Amino acid sequence: MRYMLGQIFGSGRFRIGFSIFTFILLTVLIYPLFVTDPPLKTVSRGTFLSPGIYVNVYDSMGFSPLYTLLLDGDVERRIASKLSEDDRTAMQEWLVKAGLSEDAIDTQDTAALLDLWNANFDPGIRLPGMTNADRNYYIRLNAGLQGLLATEGAIVALPNPETGTLDEQSVIDQTNYVNINEVPNTRLLPLGTDNFGRDVLTQLVAATGVSLTIGLVAGTVATLIGLILGLFSGFLGGMIDDVIMFITNLFTVIPSFVLLILISFSIGQESRGALTIAVVIGLTSWVWTTRAVRAQVISLRNRDHVNLSRLSGHSTVYILMADILPYIASYVVMAFILQISSGILAEAGLSILGLGPRTTEVPTLGLMMQWSMIYQAPYLGKWWAYFPVILVIALITFSMTLMNTGLDRVFNPTLRD
Amino acid sequence: MKFSRFAVVGLLLVLLMAISVAPVVAQETLPRNETLYFNGQQWGPVTGWNPYSNSNNNAMAIAQQDNARVIMFETPYLYNMLDGQVYPLLADGPYSWNEDRTELTFKLKPAARWSDDTPLTAHDVAYTWATHVKYNTPTGAGNIDYIADVVAVDDYTVTVKAKLNDEGAAVNPLIVQAYVSTNYVIQKAWTETLEARANGDAVALLADTAEDVVYSGPYHGYFWDDSKVIYIRDDNYWGQDASMWGKLPVPKYLAHNIFTDNAAGTLALQSGEVDVSQQFNSNVQDLWLVEGLPISTYLPDAPYGIGASLPTAFFNLNAHGLDNVAVRKAIAIAVDYPTIIANAMTNQSATFDQVPRSLMNPTPGEQAMYDRAAVADLQWAGNDIEGAKALLDEAGIVDTDGDGWRELDGQPLRYVATCPNGWSDWQAAIEVVAAAGAQIGIDITTNYPEWSVYQTVVTKSDEPLPEGYEIFMMWSDGAGPTQPWSRVRKLLSSEFNGMASNWNGNWGGYANPEADALIQAIPTITDEAQLKEMYTELVRIYLTDVPSFTLMYRPQSFHTVNESVWTNFPYDGDGTNPPVPPLDMTDGWAIAGLYNLELVNP
Repeated sequence: MRYMLGQIFGSGRFRIGFSIFTFILLTVLIYPLFVTDPPLKTVSRGTFLSPGIYVNVYDSMGFSPLYTLLLDGDVERRIASKLSEDDRTAMQEWLVKAGLSEDAIDTQDTAALLDLWNANFDPGIRLPGMTNADRNYYIRLNAGLQGLLATEGAIVALPNPETGTLDEQSVIDQTNYVNINEVPNTRLLPLGTDNFGRDVLTQLVAATGVSLTIGLVAGTVATLIGLILGLFSGFLGGMIDDVIMFITNLFTVIPSFVLLILISFSIGQESRGALTIAVVIGLTSWVWTTRAVRAQVISLRNRDHVNLSRLSGHSTVYILMADILPYIASYVVMAFILQISSGILAEAGLSILGLGPRTTEVPTLGLMMQWSMIYQAPYLGKWWAYFPVILVIALITFSMTLMNTGLDRVFNPTLRD
Repeated sequence: MKFSRFAVVGLLLVLLMAISVAPVVAQETLPRNETLYFNGQQWGPVTGWNPYSNSNNNAMAIAQQDNARVIMFETPYLYNMLDGQVYPLLADGPYSWNEDRTELTFKLKPAARWSDDTPLTAHDVAYTWATHVKYNTPTGAGNIDYIADVVAVDDYTVTVKAKLNDEGAAVNPLIVQAYVSTNYVIQKAWTETLEARANGDAVALLADTAEDVVYSGPYHGYFWDDSKVIYIRDDNYWGQDASMWGKLPVPKYLAHNIFTDNAAGTLALQSGEVDVSQQFNSNVQDLWLVEGLPISTYLPDAPYGIGASLPTAFFNLNAHGLDNVAVRKAIAIAVDYPTIIANAMTNQSATFDQVPRSLMNPTPGEQAMYDRAAVADLQWAGNDIEGAKALLDEAGIVDTDGDGWRELDGQPLRYVATCPNGWSDWQAAIEVVAAAGAQIGIDITTNYPEWSVYQTVVTKSDEPLPEGYEIFMMWSDGAGPTQPWSRVRKLLSSEFNGMASNWNGNWGGYANPEADALIQAIPTITDEAQLKEMYTELVRIYLTDVPSFTLMYRPQSFHTVNESVWTNFPYDGDGTNPPVPPLDMTDGWAIAGLYNLELVNP
């Protein structure tokens, strides 16, 4: 056993596949210990918040300790964030269209540009040759420019419930900073939020767990059915072999994904839990395992040790378990690994078609993909809602295929280095 | 051998040519700067041009509704959802009621003509109605209880006679006056041809594809197949007469590619292949804020459009516990509406802070029809978990067996909240409703059956709804000439209970004689103060009994435009008078927008 493990881990491919898979598995197990939010909890009001650290504005608004830092270029950065080069050019265009001479406008002199702008811009007019989209852009730009060059601080005031007036609480200077560690409410959203306003990373970890479970269940079901049918069909032969092969051939000619779609659809959404889907996937994907196991058993059944065992009066089940199974175990393990990864892919495929598990109960990788498609994330550049999901699916199947080929090299003498 | 190989190659070549040539022929390469492209209206190929039928799947040309689509067939009046007024189209000047409000009379414009250049007369209007009645068309069936007859007084004067009740008053003058802005006038001569062709058989008449139809509008079918439909301008259109528009609408072609889904439509809008988008584009503001595209909506900021209908969650009042108003109200006040509006609608709805809930849509006209202050104490902002818990505790609905879920009469409160599968914004909203249940000890799960199943279940009002339909979403009326009365009726009236096929409303089975009496009385009332009082009373009943609750506001139609080719689309404050509503440039008074368009680069 130790020798075999040593051989298996001696394979570079297996090692890489195994590490990726272990990393994913450990993340699924450990992450929930640190982030205890339920994965389907809505955390953001507003969809597809981009990845980053979110700092509570109210808490940082002069109520937590403020520090003064004197950093170079802070004013320039502040201005540049509100007034880009394109904005400056656009302002010049507007002013020229409004009748000013182009030479009189220096786009690099912010103060002069703003003076000219404030003196001339009227949000009410729509200049000839300007679309409503342009007009909206200028109105937004104009609103963003308010107080851009101010040097005094902003006043924080609270309403006084008795007088109904605003009472000044503090003044925030332009050089004031807060230390993020001292703000009581911050939230790290490494992968932002999705269309429901759920934390994508938390959901992704939970979904990976569920999808792995689905894969495991589907793989187990498929491998068990395939193995049992294959063993009996190959070993017993005759009428039983004919019947089993008839059924197997039937299933071979019907594309299993089509079958899967039909079954999922007819189950109806009310009873489509994650486990049900897993079992259905398992029930539709055992065919190739049966054929391969049967072929191997046929080549084994007339070996001398099997005949000896038969002569000794051992029961069929005993012979299958003790004399046949060990010879094909390595193949079955490899087939099992592939069944797991194809089970995960099948769930993803089903869910994208809207035939996966129902939405409210558990997240799955396929459901995450489906909803990001429905809310058009790919067209709006919200990569964090779908790309990590694709990556995880790819990594899981990649790691399993690597493990599989690694095992193949160890067990298959013709491939051995 | 050699020959057969030649044959195969030749056949392939022919096939290839056929495939590559066919679309070119079909496209006829429409000049981009003479064509206005739409999305979101036409799903699937056009099957007919018959204005008597409602199964043409010809959304761009035939939609007789509150804001009837008038590019091909025309109504006497055009409804404007922004000011609630109707403006004459085929009609000449405003209509007038007689003293008892039993007869409505209007004149037709002498300039109005059919596409075959014959004059459009009062006889056409009368014959249209007679045909609707004779063949029991959807229009006929829908109006026969309210309209007695439509008669041609002379060539250019039409009188619509209302059906009278026992007291000699019109049964429903509102529906009578809505008839003239929601129903097309169809040519008498062509109708007679159609009747002859159908041999007087109603089924055959309605099934006729009517490709020879005579129309009066500015556009007609030019090309249609599985992938698109194109309408071309009729340059002899009568409306260029000074008594109407005085000119032709600007685009020569109106075109609508048939997209597989919203995502494909959005992509086409982004790339400038669609000018006017009538579909839900998630996070529409990103199109200009992030991507910097020349795309805009009617309002520059959220809610981006004018809300007109109220997507509503109905309670099945026969379900265990939902016959108890405390349970209904607890669920309704616990729901997180700001999250529904921000996430499910991506902020394309007014919030309930901006427009408190009532039976009215957010347009100023309807909001003025009830007394907001009088029902202020009945309002809820949502997200009121503590309030909901207190309400349930007070009603004695508590968790008696300690499993975390409340029971009523020993039975747990366990519900399924449902809406059709694939209706993404509704599904996302229903998810939020379900989440509220868990917080107040009521077990709500979601389920999304296919629309084909959903609609047959929900619209069957002659028996109790089956399990799995305890809380379900449906629409309510948008803006129109009979609103808000018609919407109130469809939300509250018990007249639909017991119908085998109920496409009207009140699907949860609510019945309240007081509400029924008010709904029945309103159409005959003309005194505005009295109307306001009655509507306020109905809102009070609605907010007290909570037979259903609004989840968000939704525009009559989404209106997002890409100004790469065309500009001067309607926007808030565009200075048009009367204001052009953001309705796709084809519906009701919105068609006025087609006359204002300009090219960005002429």
